[in-house]
Amino acid sequence: MTNQALEELARAALREVPDPETGINIVDLGLVYEVKVDAQTGAVFVTITFTSPACPAGDAIAGGIERRLQREEAIKTVDLTVTFEPRWSPERISPEGRASLGMDD
Amino acid sequence: MTTAGLASRYAPSLHLVLAHFALGIVGFVVFSLALLLRALAVQGHFFQPQLLGLVHLCVLGWLLPITLGALHQLIPVVFEVKVRSERVPWLALALYAVGAASFIAQLWAFSLGSAFVASAALLVVALYAYLANLALTLLGSRVRTLTGAYVVAAFCHLALAVALGFLLALHLAWPYLAIDHLRLLRVHAHLAGFGFFGLLIMGVAYRLLEMFLIAYEKRTWPGVLALICVNVSLVSLALHHVLAPGSHGLHVAVVVGAAGIAAFVFQVQRIYRARIRRRTDLPWRHTAASFCYLVVAGVLAIALALSPLDDALQARLSLAYGFVALPGFVGSVIVGQLHKILPFLIWFHRFAPYVGLRSVPAASELLAEPPQRVQWFLMHGGIVAIALGIALAQPALRLAGALSLFSSSLVFARNMWAIYRRQP
Repeated sequence: MTNQALEELARAALREVPDPETGINIVDLGLVYEVKVDAQTGAVFVTITFTSPACPAGDAIAGGIERRLQREEAIKTVDLTVTFEPRWSPERISPEGRASLGMDD
Repeated sequence: MTTAGLASRYAPSLHLVLAHFALGIVGFVVFSLALLLRALAVQGHFFQPQLLGLVHLCVLGWLLPITLGALHQLIPVVFEVKVRSERVPWLALALYAVGAASFIAQLWAFSLGSAFVASAALLVVALYAYLANLALTLLGSRVRTLTGAYVVAAFCHLALAVALGFLLALHLAWPYLAIDHLRLLRVHAHLAGFGFFGLLIMGVAYRLLEMFLIAYEKRTWPGVLALICVNVSLVSLALHHVLAPGSHGLHVAVVVGAAGIAAFVFQVQRIYRARIRRRTDLPWRHTAASFCYLVVAGVLAIALALSPLDDALQARLSLAYGFVALPGFVGSVIVGQLHKILPFLIWFHRFAPYVGLRSVPAASELLAEPPQRVQWFLMHGGIVAIALGIALAQPALRLAGALSLFSSSLVFARNMWAIYRRQP
């Protein structure tokens, strides 16, 4: 598998991890800052943030990411980093996410 | 995994928080039933045994247990520090439950002897144990925010309110105070209602509204102004009643307090307008209703302090003021926020381990909307009817409102039970 294919696989999997408050997946909510992969070792490096540093669902989201990615045979290890630099902003929400939140109503 | 402040790791055990919520939910049902049974008698001067009993049943039975439970969840997560001790609140809860039940029963029956004072003492020990544990928890935090300042101020007012309450209980049993105890009772009520509940709700609202509405309002000056105004108002009120009854202290207290409420409401509307999440849910609508009650309470306070009213109207508006402030403002926030907090806690402890393995519902999907809507209408219809029934001296309206409020408490208890029972 190529790096590109592995990255696409990882990103698709991350779309199945929801934010428990809004129900929107973390990709559409703009919480995923970066996905790097090494297809040779099957390692995936994910950098995420939360809408607030005091987000009470942080552990749940982080655990969900690891569990979902590890379901993929091609992914051997998951390295997850949570950062608040830069702070999350609503501009990161995708059009689908905006529609779910009623932002454009 | 490397993390930068996963606040959820500081949360306490689920059962500690749920035990407090359960006590408060039962308290809501019991309070609203007692109010229904005594609805026709809710009139006249506030210093009557069963009115005092109702007020303390409302506060000690319903509002305070849920608030204490929520604090044990909120403080660790917001201030990123574990609760200093989880044993202390369990012990305090046991003392509190016994003390509160005994205290309220004896107040209701106006049985004001040694047992009454012993009950009050149990409450004091329990509440100071809570406060000490939470204060030590806060001291261990490096997070310094406006919300933190509100919480500290709220704790100080609760400590003073509890101390004053105990002194008043002693006086009721064995009269010793040189000044009119009704003046101190007003100070006690406002320290607890406006100082503790008011400041706590205001301070926490800034964080919770931003989180739930996904709104970020950087300017905090209205929040700072509100904090200053509420504290100045309470100091002025206390000085007026204790040291200088004939002074303008009451006028200062009311005007400055109203300014504080106005600043808070102004900040809330800025957060609301900046929100990302356009569609508002029922828990938010409870909270929005609570802010309306806060404004009405402020208007009533101004009318009571600044307008010449005959004794009968003064008595009715005083009772209406207390009702709008406590079950109205505080009660609505508590019910609304519990509709968010409990689903989240159940989701976090039971459903979160399955995220990434299979489809899980969102926290808001753990309870269907229709029973929430029914509860909302029953509760606010009841509160408005009771408040109007008190202010306009309409017993039938009070009775109808009390029936609606009691019904809403049953639906609320049913809703919370339904959420608690949800399993993956």
